[in-house]
Amino acid sequence: MRVVAVVPAYNEGARLGEVVGALLARVDRVVVVDDGSMDDTAARAQAAGATVLRHALNRGQGAALKTGTTFALADGADIVVHYDADGQHDPASLGALIAPIASGEADVVYGSRFLGIKAEGMPFTRQVVLFLARQFSALVLGIPRRITDPQSGLRAMSRAAAVSLDFRQDRMAHCSELLCLVARSRWRVKEIPVRVSYSPETLAKGQFRGGAWRIVWQLLLGSFQR
Amino acid sequence: MIIQYLLVLTLVVALGLTWRRVRQGALSGWAAALWSVLWIAAAVVILRPEMTSAIAGWLGVGRGVDAVIYVAIAGLYYLVFRIFLKLDKFERDLTVIVRRISLDEAKSNKNEPPTNGQA
Repeated sequence: MRVVAVVPAYNEGARLGEVVGALLARVDRVVVVDDGSMDDTAARAQAAGATVLRHALNRGQGAALKTGTTFALADGADIVVHYDADGQHDPASLGALIAPIASGEADVVYGSRFLGIKAEGMPFTRQVVLFLARQFSALVLGIPRRITDPQSGLRAMSRAAAVSLDFRQDRMAHCSELLCLVARSRWRVKEIPVRVSYSPETLAKGQFRGGAWRIVWQLLLGSFQR
Repeated sequence: MIIQYLLVLTLVVALGLTWRRVRQGALSGWAAALWSVLWIAAAVVILRPEMTSAIAGWLGVGRGVDAVIYVAIAGLYYLVFRIFLKLDKFERDLTVIVRRISLDEAKSNKNEPPTNGQA
């Protein structure tokens, strides 16, 4: 089974080397998509052994994931993993993330922050926003309530699922859009508990500083696009 | 009154321009028909202002001028939303180009893959 990890990165030079190193020990190829960074993100990723794709302009996390996923599929990936560049995910959870797909038990696997393992340093405000986002996902987007962490950025997909899930939101709304597509598809979804640790740096770049409303707005606009 | 004739003249020009855009292929027939209805309705309102009072009475709005303003605001909301949609579409198209360049570069740098034409 060829496993390719896709890591979208925007000005993540400082933390990226470590992330790529940890991933390379566990997957066959790491594809870093440098989303128009102004720092040394691309050089650091390359030095750490990743395959680097570069967006000439910043197009957002969703766009970068899509570019990386397209590359991974052309590269012959059997499993595509989406992984954050900022080091908030625990590389040790990769095995558990991939296993259900490798064994044919599931087609799409999400890492959840709410399945028993307590996230380190998650501020109360973020917990509230994530709770509200979950209600919105269930009520408006029709995402099943058994999904405990609809905003999770850690996911793995079988090749067939990755080919069929045509997400088009360029920015943060890709997360909800992708899960929406999964919920409406025939793919079997599974969540596994993962450890996520927040640091002041990851929080500073977080998507929830006024971003929640923007996501709702982008989803609304997106629903009118073909 | 002279202001009426000036405004109507402007609307006639707008009507002409609308259908010229259709001949140039920049506007669909349906859209042009909708715009034409709007221009003609505006001309009618200008030439027969008392008509708006009748419409306002029928809608239960009170004064004719109020009815015109309400309809105009609703119309503007709609147009602004359309512009947002258009911008969103441009952003998506831009992403497609950026992705295409990125994957082509990877190919020529011998990072290997890409792709069978889809991006």
